[in-house]
Amino acid sequence: MGKFMKPGKAELVLVRCCLGCKAVIVKNMDDGTSDRPYSHVLAAGIDCSSRKVTAAMGKKKIATRSKIKSFVKVYNYNHLMPMRYSADMPLDKTIVNKDVFRDPALKRKTHREAKVKYEERYKTGKNKWFFRKLRFYIFSKNH
Amino acid sequence: MVAAKQTKQSLECINSRLQLVMQSGKYMLGCKQTLKMIRQGKAQLVVLANDCPALRKPEVEYYAMLAQTGVHHYSSHNIEVGTVCGKSYSLCRLAIIDPGDSGIIRSRPEQTGKKINPAIFFFNKTDQNLFKTKQKTDL
Repeated sequence: MGKFMKPGKAELVLVRCCLGCKAVIVKNMDDGTSDRPYSHVLAAGIDCSSRKVTAAMGKKKIATRSKIKSFVKVYNYNHLMPMRYSADMPLDKTIVNKDVFRDPALKRKTHREAKVKYEERYKTGKNKWFFRKLRFYIFSKNH
Repeated sequence: MVAAKQTKQSLECINSRLQLVMQSGKYMLGCKQTLKMIRQGKAQLVVLANDCPALRKPEVEYYAMLAQTGVHHYSSHNIEVGTVCGKSYSLCRLAIIDPGDSGIIRSRPEQTGKKINPAIFFFNKTDQNLFKTKQKTDL
């Protein structure tokens, strides 16, 4: 009987464009707010994870293939699947917060911040599960 | 024969306890609401019918593992669970928030259904092995 939706918890996104993407909870709002009267979460995740890198590749190629595209989004609890993993990502809370979605310039800054921090963390080799793409299949009814 | 008798006994045991919970305790019925309760950390026990869809069962088990909540696999189908709870509809999942006078959480009767492998869910191979040992890890 513990609350597990906490900052630093890894989640899988279950809906729309970021389906199957891994994200980390930056801030959770269990009781909702006036504009979102349901439990939701500010999550920062990886849209496109880095590509496979081998020893035979040169530095330039490795640098291109190690790029990460990130996203920052507010999600309903129902649209996320929590995982048993956690990742303490050092995201700057003043940049990554809920207010950025009103201003596109701020939003770009937030994405930039998440991208830079994630790429740094990827290069250290920690949190390997998070940076690997989740392999899944979607079975449609019309086979 | 002995096994069948024991099954029946434990079923009656859980039935009476569930009925007590319905009278004196707090509970949430239904799939969506039980998940909500687990997420909020309020659910103390989750009861699953044995004909719960194959994807929903490990999903709830995973959530319960994260929240450190117990899961009881009821040995009968959802119509039976609904009847035991005194409802006119079938129930696949229910969450017990406050057991009231019932001893359902203090002493859980023997589970008789076979356990479904939670690796049906979309883990990769390494996750499947780790899930069996129920480890919580840093990424």
